[in-house]
Amino acid sequence: MPQFADAAFAGIAMTPQGDLSDRDPADVYWEVVQEALADAGLTLADVDGLIGDAPPGVGIRSALPGGAMADLVGHPLRFQASTSIGAAGQSAGIGLAALAIAHGLASVVVIPTVAAGGGSGYLGADRNAAVAHMARLGSPYEYVWGTTRVADYAVIARRHMYEYGTTEEQLAEIAVAQRYGATLNPLSVNGKRGEITIDDVMASRPIAEPLKLLDCCLVNQGAGCIVMTSATDAAAQGRHHPVLLLGWGEGQSYLDPCKAPSLASFEGGRLAADTAFGLAGVGRDEIDVAGISDHFTIGVIVELEAAGFCATGEGGSFVEGQATRIGGRLPVNTDGGFLSNSHAGSCGVFTVIELVRQLRHEAGPRQVEQASLAYAHGVGGVSQVQYGAVLGRA
Amino acid sequence: MAAYEKFVPEIPPLHEPFWAALRQHRVELQQCRRCGQFRFVPSELCPCGSPEYSWAPIAGTGEVYTYTIVHRAPTPAYQQDAPYVIAHVTMDEGPRMISNVVGCDPSDVFIGMPVEIVFDDVTPELTLYRFRPRS
Ligand SMILES: [Zn+2]
Repeated sequence: MPQFADAAFAGIAMTPQGDLSDRDPADVYWEVVQEALADAGLTLADVDGLIGDAPPGVGIRSALPGGAMADLVGHPLRFQASTSIGAAGQSAGIGLAALAIAHGLASVVVIPTVAAGGGSGYLGADRNAAVAHMARLGSPYEYVWGTTRVADYAVIARRHMYEYGTTEEQLAEIAVAQRYGATLNPLSVNGKRGEITIDDVMASRPIAEPLKLLDCCLVNQGAGCIVMTSATDAAAQGRHHPVLLLGWGEGQSYLDPCKAPSLASFEGGRLAADTAFGLAGVGRDEIDVAGISDHFTIGVIVELEAAGFCATGEGGSFVEGQATRIGGRLPVNTDGGFLSNSHAGSCGVFTVIELVRQLRHEAGPRQVEQASLAYAHGVGGVSQVQYGAVLGRA
Repeated sequence: MAAYEKFVPEIPPLHEPFWAALRQHRVELQQCRRCGQFRFVPSELCPCGSPEYSWAPIAGTGEVYTYTIVHRAPTPAYQQDAPYVIAHVTMDEGPRMISNVVGCDPSDVFIGMPVEIVFDDVTPELTLYRFRPRS
């Protein structure tokens, strides 16, 4: 019977991250797609599947991404699909890509994301425009009051602190641990800014209390791409140690914050993780390294709980003492994450790229020793929709 | 009156009675005709499955479920008010509603704080609901 593990992560690539406003988004898209294919020992001629976004352009490309790609690669594709997990949408697509490959619907699937060019909105380089754009994503019963994405997560943090005693210093642990990883990642945006301390986070200016500047993700541009093939094809290429998708799942919970039973925990994350770990036949305590959506520090704590790495309410104490730093009990977002590496486009792609590097044992100074099992967890919206995935070194 | 430069709500027909009541300084929510549950934000179905509802007044009182103090606002029009409070309030009838808490220092807001709705006619056509402390 076909299974997830029939599919492998064959190629990965990312561009330098930062301000790409002087680059044409389509040029950056093809650059990173071809680089990921080359990493897999493949070329554009081999592509027959696409997850998510079309190459940027005019007309109906965005509505019919597979056709748009066929125009440019000069042959038809056999498979295109998209998921709707917000900023984790493209990375959640690894599940659909693996299913397509396992069932013979496609043999080479590309999963790109790009944020480049001079446009405004969340793909642009203009911070004010991006913040204003994101503020309008909620319902009228949110945005009329002057909410922002930071405020949306700040109310989760405040409630979590109230219910479970989580502290601002515990939130800061996440930012400190991930900045350390970024300093070892030359492609990251914040690595060159050097390490930070809990005191630095606590002293950074308030954005939406209790969240401060250093609790917040970057606003930046950049591109990344994942290529998936069959495990057999990836092994035959022999370019890298094969990394397999062992399990995957989604959870879709309440969209409107007024209708969510709780703003301190989200059922969608639990559903996603239970499905992913169940299909993989892997236990939480076997995971060597994780990539957990970190749009804000509180997100890591809430998602670690939802994914079952600790009980609900214990995320704050779980991350204390730099437990999520490289070398800690469970290294998380070792590339710096959205806080310090990159938050460009459908940024969950970067989360998966880093886990693939770790499982290939190609993470250089960031390498988690003997890493053989990894867990990815991504969220869309304000954590309402989530996916989880277990990756393994073959 | 100076032009209102903050975000104006998009109001589909289903939601119009809520905003019409606000213009008359009343808060009315949908109440399910089958199970009696109040619900917010306006929606076409009750979680019990019934599409039948009435618009019914609520007391306008509740307590803060969670909140944030916003320092970095989405646009310049909101930034003029910063720092300001956004609170999620559990109304006495059950639903949670979101708005600003006004009439006190932001640092005085706490989870569990009793609040009540006050009305703010920001334009001749648009009345907003906000919360203020209730003793
Ligand atoms: Zn009902």
